[in-house]
Amino acid sequence: MAFFLLRRIATMLLTALCLTFIVFWLTNLAPNLEKLAKNQGNVRMTDEQVASFLQDRGYAQPLPLKYAQWLGVAPGWVIEGRDGTTRSRCNGALENGVLPEDARSFCGVLQGDWGYSTVFQDGVGSIIATRLGLTGKLMFWVMMVMVPGALIIGVLAGMREGSRTDRSLSTVSIITTATPEYVSGVVFIAVFASTAFGLRWFNGSATSAMENATFENFTLPVMTIALYGMGYIARMTRASMAEVMTAQYIRTARLKGVSFPNIVLKHALRNALIAPFTVIMLQFPWLLNGVVIVETLFNYKGFGWTLVQAAGNNDIELLLGVSVVSVFVVLITQLISDIGYVYLNPRISVS
Amino acid sequence: MTHTMQTKTLHPAAKLYADEYKAGLLDRREFLTRATSLGVTAAAAYGLIGLSQPVQAQTANIQQGGTLRIQTLVKAMKDPRAYDWSEIGNQSRGFLEYLIEYQNDGSFRGMLLESWEVSDDAKVYTLNVRPGVTWNNGDPFTAADVARNIAGWCDSAMEGNSMSARMGGLIDANTGQARDGAIEVVDDTTVRLNLSAPDIAIIANMSDYPSAIVHESYDGGDVYANGIGTGPFRPVSIEVGVKAIIERATDHTWWGTEVLGGPYLDRIEFIDYGTDPASWLAAAESGEVDLLYESVGDFIDILDAIGWSKTETVTAATLVHRFNQQTEVDGRVPYADRNVRVALAMMVDNAVCLELGYNGRGQVAENHHVCPIHPAYADIGPAPFDPAAGKAMLDGTDFADYEHELITLDDDWERNTGASVRAQIADAGVNIKHTVLPGSTFWNDWTKFPFSATTWNHRPLDVQVLSLAYRSGEAWNESGYANPEFDALMADALSIADAEKRRDVMAKVEQTLRDDGVMIQPFWRSLYNHHNGNVVNAEKHPSHEFHLYKFGFAA
Repeated sequence: MAFFLLRRIATMLLTALCLTFIVFWLTNLAPNLEKLAKNQGNVRMTDEQVASFLQDRGYAQPLPLKYAQWLGVAPGWVIEGRDGTTRSRCNGALENGVLPEDARSFCGVLQGDWGYSTVFQDGVGSIIATRLGLTGKLMFWVMMVMVPGALIIGVLAGMREGSRTDRSLSTVSIITTATPEYVSGVVFIAVFASTAFGLRWFNGSATSAMENATFENFTLPVMTIALYGMGYIARMTRASMAEVMTAQYIRTARLKGVSFPNIVLKHALRNALIAPFTVIMLQFPWLLNGVVIVETLFNYKGFGWTLVQAAGNNDIELLLGVSVVSVFVVLITQLISDIGYVYLNPRISVS
Repeated sequence: MTHTMQTKTLHPAAKLYADEYKAGLLDRREFLTRATSLGVTAAAAYGLIGLSQPVQAQTANIQQGGTLRIQTLVKAMKDPRAYDWSEIGNQSRGFLEYLIEYQNDGSFRGMLLESWEVSDDAKVYTLNVRPGVTWNNGDPFTAADVARNIAGWCDSAMEGNSMSARMGGLIDANTGQARDGAIEVVDDTTVRLNLSAPDIAIIANMSDYPSAIVHESYDGGDVYANGIGTGPFRPVSIEVGVKAIIERATDHTWWGTEVLGGPYLDRIEFIDYGTDPASWLAAAESGEVDLLYESVGDFIDILDAIGWSKTETVTAATLVHRFNQQTEVDGRVPYADRNVRVALAMMVDNAVCLELGYNGRGQVAENHHVCPIHPAYADIGPAPFDPAAGKAMLDGTDFADYEHELITLDDDWERNTGASVRAQIADAGVNIKHTVLPGSTFWNDWTKFPFSATTWNHRPLDVQVLSLAYRSGEAWNESGYANPEFDALMADALSIADAEKRRDVMAKVEQTLRDDGVMIQPFWRSLYNHHNGNVVNAEKHPSHEFHLYKFGFAA
């Protein structure tokens, strides 16, 4: 078990390293740096101004060196700019051009310094913490709606395969899974939030939900994400339930005269939930995917929205931070799903 | 204030303008713009033409207090001189004030300057600093503050300083800084500017958003962090892309309460809803905001339909489809040839673009970037429209089979206008495609696109945009236009303070721009915004400014 965990963590670090290097390389391509300079300085900067802007702020160094500085294995740059100001990676603009005695020379991820977001003008660590918290809130409610809903639909549909209940519930779940968030979200806003349709039950914008989530402003984003995942999990639960219901021991129980509700709840349910558990855990990475669309659509400023802003504005260090967090979320949920699977199904062993 | 003005001599040209107004040669708006830029107060200017100044601010029925929530982009703060978005100016306008304020009716009003006088040759400006103004940290505001800020504007070594290009007459070309003796502090309340060349746009430039007045303790970076200004509000917090908050500075006595009235609000929140107007609508419908920064395109009608109140202003804001005359495409420079440019411009009927691209909400423009509401506009007739002749002309060049590519931003009306331009050129039998780029890609290289659409904001004077955008080698010249003849005409125009005399030169300027096929400029936009019906004094401003001290809720 320990060896298994160790191997998983090693994979996680290696993946994070590879992914961040790719992101780093792409965001440091010359046109992207030019865009960055123009965003930060002025959209009408000349080529010379762009060059000196990049030079003065350490962007003109070789790629591997910059990456090593971000990681924290190489000392941060100190560059005397052409405008006379000396800037350093770790200590910002220097008053009199020299580093203070006690100044740090290494400041990278390994030192716990996630860098500075050029778009938001704030530390990457604190931005990600705030935004992840907001997405956490969204995810929590999505899970609260999605998981029980999906399991109930799946179990109801799977316990009598081929019945009318099964057919209708399966149809519903296939429709919700087949409708991507960017379609269902727009349809929801049009139907439930716009004057055009006249219902106006909910708000088409979730901006105020960041501070104060209410039934009105949070329902649509939660339902948009939840419905998409719900159909999929329900389908998995149904399949697994249907399979369990045809097993020998269920027939035996029926022949012994156990009542149908008892069979479903006491005999079938636990075995039927093994497969959905894995699927639910694997939904987390998919949810990250969904929040990118939904947060942008409903203008809810969480992790997905941050990712869009960071990518759209070529905010190098923020994008790297977002990537690292995403890698960890994906791999940790997989790890939990593997370990949980072992506990639910004693026939499987990880080592 | 009006008393002090009446004792001063009126600029001779102001009287001329008044006569022209009475003779019907000028409309009221033009008259006001011209007269007030010569140092005549708005009240005095109205007096010259026998009218009394309309009471703009409805002060009687404004409620004191309240939190106003405004939908607007929230951009990162920077040194005011490098401001490149009107939104940034608005975020700091509550505490960083301006020397001059450009008003909705086209006139200029002194804010931190009480009044100003311009010499007849437009080379000497005397600025009278408003007495009794203090910074919100208690320091008195004096002529030295004004001189320091103007000297800062002249620093052409600063990256992204857009003020230096507008202060050319004060700058020593060798050092790139303010010339010795150019900015003279006469006494505690008087500053004199001695220009090396006549410049009639100085006052108008001092009202533009990069000219915010900062305290001496400010040395670059985020002005929210410094927070010292003369205005009635104080910055509280800013989260870029999310929200910025300012609050009434209760411990600071604002000079304007006596002079202008206000401020009325306790707190103002600027909330970012991205660039998609559908999100702004959603915010309006769900009651998350009280006022929109701007309403655009089809959303104007939709916002009317949900019961929000519309305000409108006619402006010289526009969309220019400009050719870059220096950009190389596959080893050739397609738009270096004048005939190619003129031929394409002849294929486009500007009225069609206005109808299809902007729902007819504006005025047809004439391909020379001077608007009828500008003081020295000369009517040289509509832009020629003759697709057949244009096609024949294009066939005579080396680029008859060239595939043109028009690039526009992915923004409702800019995209639609671009599509209408493309369709008309294609109808004339020319190979052309239309590429729509999202903002994140567009702004990267936009100045070098061979053929693309650029939005321009309204500026009060005719010469302002032209000198920024079309003179050889200017910072904002993305058409790559370099014509010594045009530069000479502009130098001429910039030295004539009297708009009536300048008009003859402007006619030549306009004709040159059109004959050289510098741009296809389809229309002038009217601008709109909407509020929920309770907001007072928040009418759309031609330069997108929020005069926050005036804003309030209806009682």
